[in-house]
Amino acid sequence: MPREIDISNIERNFILEALGQDVRVDGRRLDQLRDLNLEFGVEYGTVTLRLGKTRVHVQVSAEVTKPLEERKFEGVFSIVTELSPIASPAYEVGRQTEQELILSRTLEKAIRRSNAIDTESLCIIAGAKCWSIRADVHVLDSDGGLIDASCIAIVAALRHFRRPDVSVDGENVTIYTMAERVPVPLSMMHNPVCITFSFYHGGETILLDATRSEEQVREAEMVLTVNDWELCQVAKLGGSAIDALVLLKCTTTALAKGKEINGFVARKLAEDATRRDVGGLIAELRAENDR
Amino acid sequence: MATPQIVLPGEYIPAGQIPTSQKRRIGHGLRPDPDTGSFMATIGGLLDVDWRKKSAQISTPNARYIPKPGDLVIAQFRASSTDYFHLFINAHSPQAILPQLAFEGATKKTRPQLKANDLVYAKVVSAQKNMDIELSCVNPSTGKAEPDGLGPLTGGMVFDVSPGLANRLLKKQNVLAMDDLGARLQGGFEIAVGRNGKVWVDCPEAGVKGICAVGWCLRQMDETDLGEKEQKKLVNKIMAEIERG
Repeated sequence: MPREIDISNIERNFILEALGQDVRVDGRRLDQLRDLNLEFGVEYGTVTLRLGKTRVHVQVSAEVTKPLEERKFEGVFSIVTELSPIASPAYEVGRQTEQELILSRTLEKAIRRSNAIDTESLCIIAGAKCWSIRADVHVLDSDGGLIDASCIAIVAALRHFRRPDVSVDGENVTIYTMAERVPVPLSMMHNPVCITFSFYHGGETILLDATRSEEQVREAEMVLTVNDWELCQVAKLGGSAIDALVLLKCTTTALAKGKEINGFVARKLAEDATRRDVGGLIAELRAENDR
Repeated sequence: MATPQIVLPGEYIPAGQIPTSQKRRIGHGLRPDPDTGSFMATIGGLLDVDWRKKSAQISTPNARYIPKPGDLVIAQFRASSTDYFHLFINAHSPQAILPQLAFEGATKKTRPQLKANDLVYAKVVSAQKNMDIELSCVNPSTGKAEPDGLGPLTGGMVFDVSPGLANRLLKKQNVLAMDDLGARLQGGFEIAVGRNGKVWVDCPEAGVKGICAVGWCLRQMDETDLGEKEQKKLVNKIMAEIERG
């Protein structure tokens, strides 16, 4: 049966020794991210993201359901994460590991509970009908930085996604197909980005975007979620203590990196939009007008 | 080098493409059809025909490593019992056993003391279905670790490569960059290649940066298909990088 193998002592000692001299095994600077690449599928809301060797596929889908009793004016938004053995022999089907739990909880906090999606705009008829948006996260290859990669991929997929247009006439709801009316984008309040910091040598060495082997030898980790202007989440689950000044320094780095990543995603989305806009007809076909 | 032919499972390969000599050796992934004399591929991969050695097989350089007797591997220590060390070869293979006395000059008193997650360079002695894989660190005919330098590995760094590149490194096929880098890097470097896609590298004189440079060279060779000239260029680039610091 496949199982996870711990990192060997040789690798552990070497990575720590190299980091002591500010050298990373893959030749990156300490605060350098791996190559980021985004690919959009044919359908709206399909995104494959590569961060170095880590690969994450996200599919966003929408369906009409009944809103929750206690939140009649809001739609539903959920994130589903699954780590399958395709990503790494360490993951098993059906058994949720601690890592998977931390991944889904962190993403939940970073995206859903920070109100990245305006759920009120998903309501169709209060208390009766609303949109349910679901983001399925599939990790295809796992080489560290899963939280960062999944977060970027989900936000990119949500920004790429278009739901069918609806019209309400009293009690009757008409849902138009993609061919009848131009589908509408989701209303996003902000674009959160998760940045994971790894700490070594008692907090003296700080790494951004650690690979899997670097993750295995770190002393502590901290996930900061930022959007274009502010900090949304600080998650530090155990590990060695971090100085307050270091935290402040990390925050400034995270804000800068967040802006960089959001800029990259926006550029990729614009590229995809021009690719889809054959003959420049999309603007004319739109049902809504600019008010 | 001609472009290799890619075959898919179930594809017929005409008899003319396979050596016909009596002493020919037909390997992995090819099934003969007795009626027509042609062959059928049973796995997908590259058709690898060597007319000089009269051999043919389908090579799968990126497939998962499956242990075979005679292969050199870098295995990771897991636990020990009275007479055996228990090791991992990779995440998918059954567990491997290594007799505690199968080291050069080992006796009950001088056998090596391994700690959890230590690495051992060993040779596969037997690998059969549904049985533990047996490893050894001595040459059975001489009782010595030579000529492969088997035994526990200390210091240096281990890099993961594809089994295809590990195979090439062992056979010294199209891996000029390694020799070149060894000649130009200060003090050279020591290397141990495991068929399971692990390469151990140590260069005491050039230090951390030297080892990282070798690792980077290995990764480049694995990810891109480099010819002789390109490999020379790669080494020049790495050496320039090291000098710049």
